[in-house]
Amino acid sequence: MGPLASRADTVSAPALRWPLRLRAPRLIGPVLAAPVTLWLLLAFAAPLSVVVLLSLQEFADPFAPLSLVPSGAQFQTIFDDSFYLRVVGETLALAAGVTALTVILGYPLALWLARMPARWRPLAFAVILVPLLTNVVVRSLGIVLLLAPDGLINQLLGFFGLPPARTMLYTHGAVALALAQVFMPFLVLALYDVLQGISPKVQEAAETLGASRTLRTLVVDLPLSLPGLRAGIVIVFLMSSTAYVSATLLGGKKVWTTGMLVWQEALQNLNGPLAAALAIVMTALSTLFAVAVFTLAKRLMPWATGRPAGAVTIPAWLARAVDIVGRPLGILLLVVSLGLLLLPLVLVCIQSFNDVPQATVAGFRAFTFKWYERVLTGGVYGDSFLVSVQLALASAAISLALAVPAAFALARRPFPGLSILAAFWMLPLSLPHVAIGVGMLRLLQIYTVVPPFLGLVAVHVVLILPFAISLLHASVGQLDRAQEEAAATLGADAVRRFVFIVLPGLAPGLTAAAIMSFLLSFGEVTVTSFLTTARMTTLPVRIYAESTFSLEPTVHAVSAILIVATVAALLVLNKMVRLDRLHAR
Amino acid sequence: MTITRRTFGKLVLGAGTLAPYHFIRPAVAQPKPGDELVVGIWGGAQERIVKEHVEKPLVEKFGCKVSYVLGGTPERRARAYAERGRPSFDVIYLNIFESRQAVKDGVTQAPTDAVPQAANLYDIAKIGGYGVAFNPCTVVYDKRKASKPVTSWKDIWNPEWKGRIAWPSYPGAEGTAALLMAAKIWGGDEKNIGVAFEKIKELRPFAAIQGSQDQLFQMFDQGVADLSVEFGSFTRKYAETRNPNIEIANPVEGQAVAMNVACITTGSRNQKLAEEWINLHLSEPCMLAYAREIYYSPTVKDVTLPADLRAKLLVGEDVAKLVDFDWDTVTRNQAAWSSRFNREIAG
Repeated sequence: MGPLASRADTVSAPALRWPLRLRAPRLIGPVLAAPVTLWLLLAFAAPLSVVVLLSLQEFADPFAPLSLVPSGAQFQTIFDDSFYLRVVGETLALAAGVTALTVILGYPLALWLARMPARWRPLAFAVILVPLLTNVVVRSLGIVLLLAPDGLINQLLGFFGLPPARTMLYTHGAVALALAQVFMPFLVLALYDVLQGISPKVQEAAETLGASRTLRTLVVDLPLSLPGLRAGIVIVFLMSSTAYVSATLLGGKKVWTTGMLVWQEALQNLNGPLAAALAIVMTALSTLFAVAVFTLAKRLMPWATGRPAGAVTIPAWLARAVDIVGRPLGILLLVVSLGLLLLPLVLVCIQSFNDVPQATVAGFRAFTFKWYERVLTGGVYGDSFLVSVQLALASAAISLALAVPAAFALARRPFPGLSILAAFWMLPLSLPHVAIGVGMLRLLQIYTVVPPFLGLVAVHVVLILPFAISLLHASVGQLDRAQEEAAATLGADAVRRFVFIVLPGLAPGLTAAAIMSFLLSFGEVTVTSFLTTARMTTLPVRIYAESTFSLEPTVHAVSAILIVATVAALLVLNKMVRLDRLHAR
Repeated sequence: MTITRRTFGKLVLGAGTLAPYHFIRPAVAQPKPGDELVVGIWGGAQERIVKEHVEKPLVEKFGCKVSYVLGGTPERRARAYAERGRPSFDVIYLNIFESRQAVKDGVTQAPTDAVPQAANLYDIAKIGGYGVAFNPCTVVYDKRKASKPVTSWKDIWNPEWKGRIAWPSYPGAEGTAALLMAAKIWGGDEKNIGVAFEKIKELRPFAAIQGSQDQLFQMFDQGVADLSVEFGSFTRKYAETRNPNIEIANPVEGQAVAMNVACITTGSRNQKLAEEWINLHLSEPCMLAYAREIYYSPTVKDVTLPADLRAKLLVGEDVAKLVDFDWDTVTRNQAAWSSRFNREIAG
């Protein structure tokens, strides 16, 4: 903590009246960290323990009670088998590739969003959220049409007289592109608030020192956005290391991920122990990655911990090169990433009116309104939609309520052991969701005692928390403490400072986190499909169920309606909450 | 016959010993209005058909409520296994081999004649639950790419398909059928599966490995692959509505049996309703709806099919020609085979 921060503490401590008059300010951190830890202990520790216990079983018998004598047999199987090791290695490499691709494509997009005039921002937000609002089937159809032997890219190549690339589909590249498309919104949302929060004063200072706009992006925006980038990278890496649906759809089984293996062992072969062990190996490795990223980010941001930063000289040739290449490259990347985001939108619009029996079939055949008719009058979609909205609203609200104090603990009130707690908070993200589902299966008898809605909320909150905490951690870290100090010296107590200074400052970050939380819960299918009951079918579970037979274009109509509803909701939201920071107005 | 005191005593004794058996069936409670039957089934067309042709008459008759848990077979099965003895489902739909194993594992009940329509089931549809639809797997291909029509499973090994095959992933109904048929036609069987793996390896490289019928149709659309093994039923629907170049072969060796099976869970609290549900599913209107909408063939013999449908389905003699397998061996080896498939065929 810097000298500024500790001075702020001495000023604010006597004025602290809420939530508790704490004699010892060092208790504030643990108190802030308690709610989220408690929730995870109640709703996540149980399935996690089952997964751990399962991985230590010697034999796979779906009916045998779990043995408490640990055995390393499953891990032995994995480490003795070059196939498993290869898949684990390939999955990690895939995740790294996806992360790199997402950063390259997502960063220009985040800059574009942060610099957007306020009134266009809701639309820009909507564009970025398109992949999250469309079904995985639409998205992979988009990628298929892009990469197919007669697809868009090959037609483009042909136009320029280049030879076609006929084997782009069903490769790691295809899967990576699909994953980058759907994870890009997470990275952009993580960066958005941090980029917004960079003070114009710093920019002005750099400008007066002669830095061009492009150079400022490199030497001012990039370093100062590292907290957001760190959150985004960790989120994207962990999500792609556990992905399996896109890998199945676009990898054509030529691409194997650990998530696919976990699914196959747990469900098709009823081998819970091996699935659990695979999940644990994967979790351990990806947690290591997350720790490495945090350590590296810390070293790259000496100012965050008050350590002196050495000056870096940018050679003149590099500055010139950046000036020449930077802008066109940025525009090119922006166009590519916008194209990738909008591809599903175009397809949804076409496919939702297409008179074909399967959603995955491309090529327009005849115009029809029947899919909309079925969605709007069928009743079943409406019911599922309502369940999903209620669930997502409740889960997002609770997640934010738990994540805000946790973020303050991380950013302002570190205490011994907090980093271990923080690693525990991130676990639901790095444990493959199939494994959580398998853990829940073993607990189904206990779980069914809980009212179904509450049970689903509990689990969804667990899945959202890592995202919400990562995002808000970065946002809280960027709050301008000088404003709080000023308010404190003017006599504002902690409550007033929180309501009038902190909350407005956090509004953009909170909004981004709320949107992400809502959409995460709204789209969750992996764990939910294990827990859904006859009266609680969420929309994604219904769509997934359809896809197990044959998916009809109704899903495209659902997506189209969702996109329109989201744009409307964002426009309304923009009237109520400002999506930008104070100094940007 | 006069009953002496002595014979009366014997009769009483006999009735006493028989009594426990007597209680197995009549202990079933009669359905009350408001009872809820929970059915685990696939979504989409299948959900729509049972809602119309099974739920409606059932609700009319008993005033009950029907709720659905929708999803894929693996999730449904995993859940039924986790809930063995205290099921939240009353009726679950499984594939042929899963259903037989589930009865052995005590998760679902073997079929009984408490379902009147079960008397009309083909023999093959009466094991491990109540077969409700045949949807056998066969070779499907793009006829423009074939020098002559495919008439045998062996035609897959015709060099003209090299590099153009989308092999179905194992395990899964199509992948299982393809693997077992390969063993059968090349002189192996369920107990000697190595033959199949060696022959399938000869087909490499594959254009792709397909994981579902939707994915295969996409591959056909995009010209990624020209031949695969798939359910003939729905592929016909696809060929008729979308891609007339796709042909569904009827190989001389027969098509590999695949079947949707309705199973009543062990411990269901709505036994009678579940039996009535299945009886309605096996009724002519429901069978005809399945046949018309997705070309699933009836599993009962008392359905009268219109001539145009008859030609596209499997009835009577065709059913007898379906190739069945030793599913115990298949289930026992599934993990080993899938591990071998992942290493030697896919990837």
